[in-house]
Amino acid sequence: MPSQLTRLLRGNRDLSTFLICAAVSFVLLALPPGAKEVTGRALSGAVLGPFKRVAALAIEAAGVREENAALRRIAAELMNERNALIEHRQENARLRELLRVLVTFPEEERFELLPARVTAMPGGRVVERIEIDRGTEHGVRTGMAVVTPEGLVGKIVTVYPSRSLVEPLANASSAASVVTERSRVRGVLRPRYHAVSELTTWEIDYVPARSDIEPGDRISTSGLGGVLPAGLSVGEVTSVEDGPLTMSVGVELHVDFSKLEHVFVITGTRSGPRARTEEEERLLREIGGLSEERGG
Amino acid sequence: MRIGTYAALAFVAVVLDATVAPEIEILGARPDLLVLVVAYGSLALGSRPATIAGLVMGLIADAEMPEYLGLHAFSLAVVGFLSAGIWDHLVRSNVFVQCAVLLVATLLHDSVYYLVYYRNHLDMYVRFLARYGLLGALYTAALGVLVFGLARARGWRSISGGFTG
Repeated sequence: MPSQLTRLLRGNRDLSTFLICAAVSFVLLALPPGAKEVTGRALSGAVLGPFKRVAALAIEAAGVREENAALRRIAAELMNERNALIEHRQENARLRELLRVLVTFPEEERFELLPARVTAMPGGRVVERIEIDRGTEHGVRTGMAVVTPEGLVGKIVTVYPSRSLVEPLANASSAASVVTERSRVRGVLRPRYHAVSELTTWEIDYVPARSDIEPGDRISTSGLGGVLPAGLSVGEVTSVEDGPLTMSVGVELHVDFSKLEHVFVITGTRSGPRARTEEEERLLREIGGLSEERGG
Repeated sequence: MRIGTYAALAFVAVVLDATVAPEIEILGARPDLLVLVVAYGSLALGSRPATIAGLVMGLIADAEMPEYLGLHAFSLAVVGFLSAGIWDHLVRSNVFVQCAVLLVATLLHDSVYYLVYYRNHLDMYVRFLARYGLLGALYTAALGVLVFGLARARGWRSISGGFTG
């Protein structure tokens, strides 16, 4: 029998090789656990160790790149959201202020006010026109005065169905009949554009010499001419120079045209003070509370 | 193909199997590069080189999990020995034949290996083979057809259409 097996193995080298390999495998499988551990660690460390370390580094580097790209995307999204939030917060503050003004505006006791948003300000260094998002559909008509809580902005000169153009006081051709609130001296407010300095200043023309006007006097519309209603705040006297026939009166307007965002169109007058609605009272309380919180 | 080239190929396969293969898993199944190389060795060089390569490659693979040192070596040696016998009775150049042999070789390897591994939990053994074994075998077979095609294009071995059985 052994001789037959020997002959078989000698005749079949493939089978012999396989049996030897199988025997080696079984011997290894039969090793004590400690010996297997030592052998395995030595073999793995010597043969695969360096390659596994390199592969781990490569995989980690690829992961870092992907993570980096994902983080960049998230950072960009968060930045956009942050900018949007800031924009919304600022708009919220503006609208709250507008709301507060709308229900506490002193002119509102006398006038019907239509809130409007400034959508464009065509013109170069001097604001020629102001476009607002209210038109005939909202009851706007040519000649209506446009104001802000700070004072007079101008008057409506062109009306479209859903938008209108305002001629501001800053426009070179604009003129408004004004009066000093303290001494009731009248004149015509006109802009003066200084080509050299590229600045626009405002002066009151046709003020008789030796009139009672002092720097600091408040200026408002006189109501003469029938276009602008009387009593709209305009600005403040900054300089006074007496001349032989007329005085040169410099005025600083209360409205900063470069920062206009929301305005009111005076669409009509009231016969008496308007009572606030419950909703307005509630809004006022809310705004007041928020203001106190911010202040606190 | 020379023995030296085959040894280098086997070494590369061992390294890739330990480093890259886990990264190309599909549905939890990964290609068995060692079976692939052993099966190719049995086709290109015959039974003995493939069996010895299976033993050596299996030992290195076992080193990763020393508790079963020798088990991979045995199962790959079985694959090397038996697949050489299978090739001798088939049309080697046929892609479908190559694919089928690789499929059977991988299943054979997994059957032997996991029979010992799950020797006390035969239900798990069956579930594992059904869930991962078959999928892994298909994956290996598909990859193997590509590798065999590449090998033929490189001229490592003219896998002629001989029916040598």
